[in-house]
Amino acid sequence: MKPLENRWYPYALLAPAFLVLVVVSLVPFLFAMYLSFHQVNFGRIGDFAGWSNYSRLLDNERTWNSLWVAVKFILIAFPLQFILGLGGALLLNKRVWGRSVILPLLFIPTMMAPIVVGLVWKVMFAGSWGLLSYNIVERFGLLPGTSVFSSPDYALIALALVDVWQWTPFMMLAFFAGLQALPVSPYRAAAVDGATPMQMFFRLTLPLMAPLMVVIGMLRFIDAFKVFDTIYTLTAGGPGTSTEVPSLFAYRMSFEQWRIGESAAFAVLVWIGFFILCSLFYHVAKKKLNAF
Amino acid sequence: MTMHKAKSKAMLAGLIATATAFCYSAALQAQQWSYAEAAKPYAGTTIRVLDEITPLQETMRRLVPEFVEETGIQVEYELLSHGDVINRGQADLFSGRGHYDAIMLHGLQLGPLLAARVLQPIDGLKTNSTLTNPDLGLDDLIEPANESLVNHGGSQYGFLTWNYNQIYWARADLLNHPDEKAAFEARYGYPLAPAETMQQMRDIAEFFTRKSGEALAGETLRNDFYGIVLEGIPGGTTFTTVWEVFMNNWGGGVFDANGKPQLDAPENIAAVQFWADLWKFAPPGQAEYSLIDVPTVMGNGIAAQSIAFSDFVLGVDRPDGGTYAGQFVYGGIPANADLLDARSAGGEPSLMALSSHSKKPEATYLFMQWMVDKQTQAKLLEMGGGGVPIRRSSFDLDVMREAERQSLYKAMAASLEHVQAKPKTPNFFDIDNIMGPLVQQVGIGRLSAEDALKEGQRQVSSLCSSCLLTD
Repeated sequence: MKPLENRWYPYALLAPAFLVLVVVSLVPFLFAMYLSFHQVNFGRIGDFAGWSNYSRLLDNERTWNSLWVAVKFILIAFPLQFILGLGGALLLNKRVWGRSVILPLLFIPTMMAPIVVGLVWKVMFAGSWGLLSYNIVERFGLLPGTSVFSSPDYALIALALVDVWQWTPFMMLAFFAGLQALPVSPYRAAAVDGATPMQMFFRLTLPLMAPLMVVIGMLRFIDAFKVFDTIYTLTAGGPGTSTEVPSLFAYRMSFEQWRIGESAAFAVLVWIGFFILCSLFYHVAKKKLNAF
Repeated sequence: MTMHKAKSKAMLAGLIATATAFCYSAALQAQQWSYAEAAKPYAGTTIRVLDEITPLQETMRRLVPEFVEETGIQVEYELLSHGDVINRGQADLFSGRGHYDAIMLHGLQLGPLLAARVLQPIDGLKTNSTLTNPDLGLDDLIEPANESLVNHGGSQYGFLTWNYNQIYWARADLLNHPDEKAAFEARYGYPLAPAETMQQMRDIAEFFTRKSGEALAGETLRNDFYGIVLEGIPGGTTFTTVWEVFMNNWGGGVFDANGKPQLDAPENIAAVQFWADLWKFAPPGQAEYSLIDVPTVMGNGIAAQSIAFSDFVLGVDRPDGGTYAGQFVYGGIPANADLLDARSAGGEPSLMALSSHSKKPEATYLFMQWMVDKQTQAKLLEMGGGGVPIRRSSFDLDVMREAERQSLYKAMAASLEHVQAKPKTPNFFDIDNIMGPLVQQVGIGRLSAEDALKEGQRQVSSLCSSCLLTD
């Protein structure tokens, strides 16, 4: 093989994936950016609008509300998924009885379409006609005068728990796969040195798992921010706007009110926010955790 | 003089002959007009029509091959869910793609779509005697839904095809129970019967709200029982129900006569307060109930009465519709006893509209006429075992006179007398998006009616000061 061919060979291999990324990600993003600076009336692109879409969006209290709801949602769901996922993975790694049965079962919630998850939970907890609502919550007066998804105090927590139910098994499986791939020799050496299980966990397992944890954690964090289907099915953003997450807010702005310019501006702002967050995350993970 | 008389006679004879010929040709034309004949130039053409999927439209889909066979016009009749038909239909219209030639539109969509000028008036097609069925009998369509829906600025934009309407729905077995009747009359001083006024509906709601362990119609309740169930989710038709069924009946409404927002008018505050008071007698999960959940709750037998869309009732009150099927009674939307003149009912009359991007308007227009044709409508109702009529004469069909559905059809007819299409405002969806969560918070007791409507007025006024679409 000639030197020139050698030099281009990796790029040639990357080209199809890069092309797909450009077509499905970069082009729509650039188009969204273009739209965000234009008046878009009923789907028709009009005059250049400067920053007006952005200023209208930032003046809208529903924008800030949706971001705050997302923060609360992530703060409830993400740590639980992470801790339960890691704990479950550690248990599975101990060769527990029935592991070969448990492992395939863990795929079920993750494999379910989010809209189906929403419907399943609705059938269980819909106020006064849900299976568990009717037979347990209301019969024993656990939530007097309200229901799980009708209460401004509990609806978001309940939705976060639905997310935990769906995504903890995924975290568990991912962490379990990581644990299975850890090298055995450092553990043998630590055992010879008389390390306790706790010391092994904190000094070996966590550092060795850090790259995987960072990647899985970041993916889940981004995914939790995008939650839509379950909330749309279970509360439609209510009561009031207490569960109106950014995806739902953007959906309504785009497809109910046809404020395409503003929703494009929202998409751009969210993208910038995530770009900054992920960059910070990446650099911290690289420097402090030696991940990547 | 003789010459003059002769001329006059000749002119008279000419006039008579012309008139006779005109009448004869018109009669002949009426006699001869057929979809097959009118469609000859368009045979082989394919048109795409988007409609919403409900049992009514599924029955219509079974009828469409008859049109295809008669005319040779191929029809791709696509049915999508409520949300999808709105999203995909509007996206097609707004984008100018023109994939669909005709799209079913709810009245609430017309403001934005007319403002964007993406609908084609059918006035020109209507004057084409070759294309227009002279026996279409549009004066038979149910009013005021039809007139308020299809017309704007002196033009007609389609035909009324679906007449979704809300009705009052109650448990007949409870209302007719002798013990309950006696107890109700002793407490309220008038006989227990399906509510004809809002105030009666409130009394019935209060009366039938019982805790588990109490008796209901001679049985001991294992769970709480509720006097009423209403839609309460933000979005959906929660706010439009508050608007049409409550605010309008209290003499208020979203706009004044000039289209200016008047949400914080005292009439509206009183109406929303009345609506929110009904929540005390409703299941605790009402805030999460969509218009689909309401029939589910009624079908599960945990509430005594409701206001619901009549086409959803058809899914519950049918022979295999569950334990309580056949035990319901219906009525028109109750009136406000204090303001009978302001009577209003909720509904969503919908039309089949011609896309301004359609390249086959003539063939599409023929199909649109066929959909509302008296014969098609009769077949539709007969094949579907009933339905929601768009024609007054449909109520006289045998299928609509069957004893077990009489109460339901009478209720539909009573409601439809007061159903108007939504006012055409380009900001409808924004207003609904603002008001839905606000009124819901009144329902769950987080906001007072006054505060919610003042906030609503502030936000809606920032959208538009004169909100109705002008010609």
